[in-house]
Amino acid sequence: MRFINANAKYRIRKIIVYAIYIFLLSSLQVSFPDSFGFLGQTADLMFVFVVLAGYFNGFWDGAVVGFVCGLVRDVFSPPAVVGLDGEVRVTAFLGVFTLFAAGIIGSAFFTRRMHRNIPFSIVAVIFTTTCYKVGGYLLIYGWSLLAGSASGIYSPVTFVVYSYLPQLLLNVIASVPLLLLIRFLGPVSFKKNKNNDEIIDKQGDGTWLGI
Amino acid sequence: MKKLLKSKWFISLVVLLVLAACAILSLLPGSPIKKLLKPVQSVSSPAQSIVKRAGDTLTDFWSAITDGIAIREENRALKEQIADLRYHLTQNEEAALRYEELKEALHIKDMFSNYVIYGASILSRESDEWFSTIRLNAGKADGIVLEEGNSYPVLDVEMNLVGRVIETSDTESRVLPLLHEGFAVSAKVNAVNGATFMVYGDAELKRKGLCLAKDIDPDARLEAGMEIVTSGDGGLFPEGIPIGVVVSVDNSNPLQVTATIRPYSQIGKLEDVFIMIPYVEPEENTAASTQGT
Repeated sequence: MRFINANAKYRIRKIIVYAIYIFLLSSLQVSFPDSFGFLGQTADLMFVFVVLAGYFNGFWDGAVVGFVCGLVRDVFSPPAVVGLDGEVRVTAFLGVFTLFAAGIIGSAFFTRRMHRNIPFSIVAVIFTTTCYKVGGYLLIYGWSLLAGSASGIYSPVTFVVYSYLPQLLLNVIASVPLLLLIRFLGPVSFKKNKNNDEIIDKQGDGTWLGI
Repeated sequence: MKKLLKSKWFISLVVLLVLAACAILSLLPGSPIKKLLKPVQSVSSPAQSIVKRAGDTLTDFWSAITDGIAIREENRALKEQIADLRYHLTQNEEAALRYEELKEALHIKDMFSNYVIYGASILSRESDEWFSTIRLNAGKADGIVLEEGNSYPVLDVEMNLVGRVIETSDTESRVLPLLHEGFAVSAKVNAVNGATFMVYGDAELKRKGLCLAKDIDPDARLEAGMEIVTSGDGGLFPEGIPIGVVVSVDNSNPLQVTATIRPYSQIGKLEDVFIMIPYVEPEENTAASTQGT
């Protein structure tokens, strides 16, 4: 009981701040994609936010925020996939799968070794974006071959030049304001003069255990 | 075993496997799994509307400041245009009356007279190149009822093809855009006895805003600059909806002639669209007309 009371303040703050950021960023991304676009790609604000939440605030933050962001993404702009019968259908839960995995990868990317330092968070975004784009490309390539839909396939060179690199650039640019937001106006307070990992143990991962 | 069940990595793996299974199950026709997202939709949609409205207001406010002088000039030119159009309107009113008389007499069918057209606004667009369906604010409650295997064309304000509705919920519809790699429509050159072929979305051409035309007869006359419209074959789209213009034709392989098409509609700039639904005569009227005959 005492544990719940001690964490109540952190927990309420965390839920409110995350809820505001999730709805604000997801709405911005799907309402004005051209404002964050370059070479046909759009800066993935939700994706970067999830990775940074995992990196700075721990495993459970990355997982929970990734799951919720994924649900919102599946509602706002789910992918349409050519089924094995040749019909195009809207899928569900691919967004949750992607962002949940991104949050977990972000939280596990040398966070302890690098003491969650700020510049290295950009490397985490680069690594996770690479995993997402390469994994997505291979999945689409394999599925298109399986479904016999050649129109979904593009060459590896096109993928690298027109899909991966612009997306990587946009995500890195987007990560600068987002990491400042999440670190200095985020759900976890890093004001106290303590080791980052101690703060995460107290305010980060531990907070969710009370819910 | 207890240790394994408590491991966060094991829990993550199980969750990922369940999510992957859900994603695959959602591809099945009439899958109920999508209903799980309904509560999220009821919370997230109003929140997104607020952000969108706030963003639009800010954009409008900024435009009002920056475009002030240009708007004054445009207003003056528009006033002149209105005067000119009024003159033409008076002349055309008479021509329209004449046309109606002839239409009755010659039983000319209006191109889209068998369709009911619903207006809708775009709620959200693609969030990245793969999560790329468009959401509209019209659903089953507005009369957009979609049966499995059916689809409705979506047009822009200039009646150009934008895409097709592939899913509807109570208050919203999802549109597969023309550039999506899963999109296909039977098309023809907008000319007398124009060649017919298929137009597809293509992942490689999507980034340039182009579509791919395939299944073209090697003897067909197809040149850059020709207008392409829907052919009406297949039954999903009525004949004559403008799609775009031919950009280039590849004749290098005579057995597989292809062409690239630049669509007229610019999805990124659209705010409002129209959904065309085939008009079904009410059963009472159908019965009455059958009895009459």
